Formats: sequence, C-alpha cells, structure tokens
Amino acid sequence: MAITNDKEFKAALATLDNCGRRQATAYLIRQALDLTPDTRVRAGLDLAVRCDASDAELAVAAAGVNSARVASYTQCGHDANWTCQASHFVARAAQECVKPEVNASGAWEAAMQARMARICQTIAAGEGTSNREAEAQYRALDEYLKAKDSAT
Amino acid sequence: MSASLEKGVRVLKEVIDAPIASYFNSCVHCGICAEACLFYTETGDPKYTPIHKLEPMRRIYEQEYTLLGRLKKWAGLAKAVTDNELAEWQELVYNSCTLCGRCSVVCPVGNDIVYMVRKMREGMSASGHSPEGIQGAVKRTVTIGSPMGVKLPAVKAQMKHVQADTGIEIPLDQEGVEYLVTLSSMEIMNFPEYLGAIARIMRHVGKTWTLSSEAFEATNAGMQIGNSDLARVIVSRIVAGAEKLKVKTVISPECGHAYTALRWEGANLVGRPFTFKVQHIVEVLEEFRAAGLLKLDGMETDRLTFHDPCQLGRRGGVLQPQRNLMKMVAKNFVEMPDAGFMNWCCGGGGGASTIEEGEPLRLEAFKRKRKQLDAVKPDRLVTACANCRIVLEEGLEHYNMDLPVIGLTETIAEHIPD
Amino acid sequence: MNSLQLLTWARGPGLDTALAVFVLGVLWRLFEIYSLGRKQDLSAPRHAPGASGWATVLRRSLPPPGMLPTSPVSYIGGYVFHVGLAVVVFLFAPHIALLTSLLGLAWPGLPSQVVDMVTVVTLAAMIAVLADRLAKPAKRFLSTFGDWFTWTLTFLPVLTGWLAVHHLLLPYTLMLAIHVLSVELLLVLLPFTKLFHAFTAFGSRWFNGTVNGHKGVAV
Repeated sequence: MAITNDKEFKAALATLDNCGRRQATAYLIRQALDLTPDTRVRAGLDLAVRCDASDAELAVAAAGVNSARVASYTQCGHDANWTCQASHFVARAAQECVKPEVNASGAWEAAMQARMARICQTIAAGEGTSNREAEAQYRALDEYLKAKDSAT
Repeated sequence: MSASLEKGVRVLKEVIDAPIASYFNSCVHCGICAEACLFYTETGDPKYTPIHKLEPMRRIYEQEYTLLGRLKKWAGLAKAVTDNELAEWQELVYNSCTLCGRCSVVCPVGNDIVYMVRKMREGMSASGHSPEGIQGAVKRTVTIGSPMGVKLPAVKAQMKHVQADTGIEIPLDQEGVEYLVTLSSMEIMNFPEYLGAIARIMRHVGKTWTLSSEAFEATNAGMQIGNSDLARVIVSRIVAGAEKLKVKTVISPECGHAYTALRWEGANLVGRPFTFKVQHIVEVLEEFRAAGLLKLDGMETDRLTFHDPCQLGRRGGVLQPQRNLMKMVAKNFVEMPDAGFMNWCCGGGGGASTIEEGEPLRLEAFKRKRKQLDAVKPDRLVTACANCRIVLEEGLEHYNMDLPVIGLTETIAEHIPD
Repeated sequence: MNSLQLLTWARGPGLDTALAVFVLGVLWRLFEIYSLGRKQDLSAPRHAPGASGWATVLRRSLPPPGMLPTSPVSYIGGYVFHVGLAVVVFLFAPHIALLTSLLGLAWPGLPSQVVDMVTVVTLAAMIAVLADRLAKPAKRFLSTFGDWFTWTLTFLPVLTGWLAVHHLLLPYTLMLAIHVLSVELLLVLLPFTKLFHAFTAFGSRWFNGTVNGHKGVAV
C-alpha cells in the first residue's frame, strides 16, 4: 500500500529497526541531495545507508556533517541566500541519520528538515509555497520498504 | 573636513548629554573596565579597553562642551578628530564591542560605558565609518524592508512548513488577539522550530496570538549600526502592526537586540509611549508558568546549563525567569561561573557577528566562553537568543567542542504533552 | 621673601584665592556638565528591588562579583588611599582648626600618632597604585600626562605635610609653606583635571543606576 500522507509516513518509519530507519532516513534525505554541494554531507549519507557502519565511523561522519551544518548557517544581518540555506537544512537532516541511534522522531525530524531545504530552494526561486518534497519522500520510503521486503 | 566627517562630528555633538559629560569627567583611567571586557581579557591588547573606544567622542566633548577645551581649540592647541582616526576606531567601536555592558556594571566611578558606545555609533555611522556587513543589512532594510532580505513569501512558506510539522494552523493578521508574535530574521532563516514551539505552547496554554504580514520581523540593524532614523523605521513597522491588530502584547523573539530595540529604545525612537506591552518570549513563558498554565511532561536528565543573552539579562533585567523555566524541564541544571548578571557575552552581539573581518577576533574572544563551559562541562547548552546560538555553535565548532546548543522555547515546547 | 613671609602669604591671600578658584571652578564645572540635561525615557519602566540611582551610588563602592581578583591593587590600594586622605584631611587636629576657622564647625580629631601612621600608609598605597599603573598594560596604555600630574598633585600635600610635621628635609617654616602651597595648587586644579571625579563620580553612578534601574537592572 503506497504512502499518501504524513500519518502513514510516520507509521511506516516507526515499524523499522534502528538500521532500517537509518537507511530509510538516508534515502529520504537523498531526495534533497541536489541542494547541497557539501561532500561531508554526502559522505555521511553514504555511510548511513550501510548497515555495518561502526560507532567510530558514525562519530567521524557526524563531526563532518555537524561542521557542514554550522558552516552553512546564515549569520545575523547577512544577506539571505536561500540557496545556501537549503544546504544548511540538508546538513541538519543528515545529522539525524549519523547519530548512534535513529529513533522514529529523529527520522521524522530529518524528513522535515529535508522538506525545509526544498522550501528554501523554492523561496530562492521566488515561489516559496509549493512543496513537492513530501511526495518525493513518500515515494522514496515506499521504494525502500518494497526493496527491503523483496530482499527478505 | 569632508562632508561625511562633518556630519559625523555634528551627530556626535548632538548625542552628548549630561550623563556622557559626567562619565567623561569621572574616568580616572583605572582600567578596570578592561578586565570586564572579553576582547581585552582574551587578547591582552590594551586598545580594547572599553573607555578607550570612546576617545574621539571624549575629545569632541572636551572641545565643544568645556570652557577649557574651547579655549584650547580656539588657541589651536586641540587635536581635532579626523577621518583617519575614526576609520581606525571602527574596529574598536564595532568589531570589538558587542554592547554586552559588562564594562558598565564594573566601572567604580559609575560610568555607563556601553551607553556611550551606543551613542558613539551614531556618529560613526553618520561619518561613514561603520562595517560593511552592517551597512549591507541597513541597505537591505531600506530596499527590501528586512535586514537580511527576508520577505513575506518566505515567512508564509515557513508557516506552511510548521503547520505540516505540528498540525497546528499558524494565525496571520488576526485582529484583537492577545499576542503579536514577532520573529528575528535568524529564526525565519535558521530556526523554523521556534515558530513551531510557539504554536504548540500557545495552543497548550489556550492563548490567542497572531503573526503580522507587515510586522513579522523584529531584528533591528538600525540600532546595531547606530542609525536612529533607520531604527525608528524598523520599530515603527511593529508599532503600526501591533496597533492595527489591536493586540495587548508584542512578543519579542529569542533575539537579544530585538528586545532592546523594541522594549527599551522603541518608544524613545517613535517619540511616544507604546499603547501595548512588549515582552520577551522568556517573560511570557514565565507568566504562563507562574499562572500554572504550563503543565509539562517529563524532565531532561542530562547536564544542562544556560547562557544568558546580554540584552535579556544584564541589559534587559530578565534574569530569574529563564532559571525558573530551566528547572521545570531539567533535572540536572548547572550554572556556569559568572552566570546571570555577570555572564560573559558569546562574542557576537551588537551586530559584531555581521562583521566578516571580525571573525578571528570573535573566535579569540570565545575562549572566555570556553573557560566558562569547561568549568561545568555540560552535556547541552541552552540559550534564548538565535544570534548567541549561532555564534556559540561556531565557536564550539572552531574549538572542537562537541556540545549541542538549543533554544529555551523549543526545549519547553518539547515537554508539552501531546 | 623669606620662609615666614611665604607662609604668611600662603595662609592669607594665597588660601583665599585658591578657595575662590576652587569654589567657583567646582560650581562652573558642575553647571557645565549637568546643564546638558538628558532626554526623558518613554519606555515603560520595570521596577526591581535595588535598581535605582541612589542604590548604585552606594553599591558601586564595592567591587562587583568576581572583579576584586582582577585588579586587587586598584581596589585595595584605592580604598586605602581614599580613606587615608579623608582621615588625614579631616581628622588631623591642625586641619580641623583651619576648617573650623573657615566653616565655623568643629569636631574631634584623632591622636597625631594615629594620623601619622595613616599618612605613611596612604603614601605607601599611593606608591602602590602608581606602580600598578606602570605595571598593568591597560592602565599604562590609558595613562596620559594628566594621570601622572594629578597623582603628583595629590601626593605632594600628603608628603610635604608629613615632612613638615617631622621637621625633615627643609626647615619647618619653609616646608609648611610648601605644604600649604601644594594644597592650594591641588584646590585650584581639582575642578579642571580628572580629580574632579571627586564630584562627578556620584552623578555618574546616579545616572548609570537610574538609566539601568528604569529597566529593572540593579547595576
């Protein structure tokens, strides 16, 4: 059954185990990966989709993602650059999936941050209202769950 | 004398009042203000001594408002203030002063030094000697209407996002509600969770509130650069918005200077007392707590400490509410040395964080915050100012300190039962 | 002019002139400063205990939390020499006699041995704060001719008074004349140098306390 709303989306995230949720979250964030040029964020997501990542590897990745997140803040009084700001939210989202444990609220948080990233992009483009990201995330989670099902 | 210098000197003359005259006459060069300033204590460079940052203004005072000084000037013995001098002083008046006000509370003769720096900035900006970073913010305020160039569609997009996240509708332009909530540009850009937290808290306590499409932003670059005309324009928007919607109270966001601009400078800028109340969000939350409206669930168990934003605490008089609120949600709340009234600045207030070329100095000054944090080794750091938050995160990142920084309002909202 | 004539002039016309310059100077300077006025604060005040101008006038005599260790010489040396000066000026019997002749008021003094000891301690404290001014980077950086000059202006009367009492260095009459003249120099220059903080410090504390007290901050 395809996911069509946030309620189902949250419920699906809640059924996964820690590793599954980490992977799923990483896939969700990858939907918005076009919004960041930061290699530290990419590296973090690449690690998160691997179920065998060690705690030490995750810690290194988390530090990298955190640096990317802090570096991409828009500072007080600086010109609002929504394209850069989009990359900040991707980094924030990525942070959730390199934590030692990815719980359901963390996964939801990550999804919301990734959607915020897309919103930033639409603001930069002068629209600022439509949000295609939720649907993209529903599809990504569907696909992930299907692939997982067929693998087992 | 160039036209801009002439203007700057004229403005400096205009802002000098009896308190400033009294302060300049009282200084005995004891240097104690230096010991209170993190830019001096962390660099050891005496040019950062707070009272020294006012030297050009002191000379103008002496030459214009004292008999002896006027005689000296007439006899050609007085050293006039020059463009070069003001250019040199720009770093002292902006980069190395966050208007934190520690100097003002330690001066033995009672000089309110930060009061003078705030006034000196009027002359500096009039003479064209203000940092490019803040000038940009000012320009955007004039052309776009926002120091960071944030427009209404961005706010609307964020509102929609928060609605999706929390399931609560965000009211816009609703007349006759109790609270008008304003945001700092930083919250609009970086911390949409603040708006979400407000929505959840207001629903929980059963209060009516709204955002305003013309007065959504409280950040005041005009005050930071020292341009009262501009500060007035920004404050006037909020006054107009509040009066149009007939709200009882305007809530200043988790932003230090927005609070000072609105709560203390606002009425003086527009030239009449406000018809509504201005409160910082922390004061509002404290009222909810005291009235028994906040029925929170669960406690944070890790070690939390609170960083007092200077404009909220020492400069704003809000010191106890944040502690009462912290104790509601934190089992293990610890205080840093000097916390509260004597807290050390994050290093980026008063527009300093806007100044790109000031970053190395800011990071140097951050060592003071590091010492404070090292003394208590918290697991997380809570604050109530979006600018503090980012400056703190940058400092922590620079010194490889793994310490999450969170906002007080969100922390409270997280404990609201679903 | 011999020593006696010098002393007679110093005690007579010299003193009168110095006092006149002092009084008129102080009045003029106070007018010059406080007549500038200030704008009324239109923001809604917040009231808090201890947040007022008068409270700050008193409170600021004590170091704020954490400040004493940062500048121990300034604080301790400062207390010692200010209190010492007050004791020497107002509680030494010959000084009281002079003040009585000027003001018509009399009060008991301290035994001269005690005043003598206080004088030595005051001189030592002044030397300590001078050394501190040379040693501490921020203090040295701020120091101008005015700082060294006013230190000397303050130090000389105390030193010459002590020397005169002990009949040291110069004949008593000459030393006493120099002592009186040094006091007169101090009086004449006080309104026009940083020594004027003796008057404005209270006004400054009051302004600071009032401006911040309006915001409910007890500074």
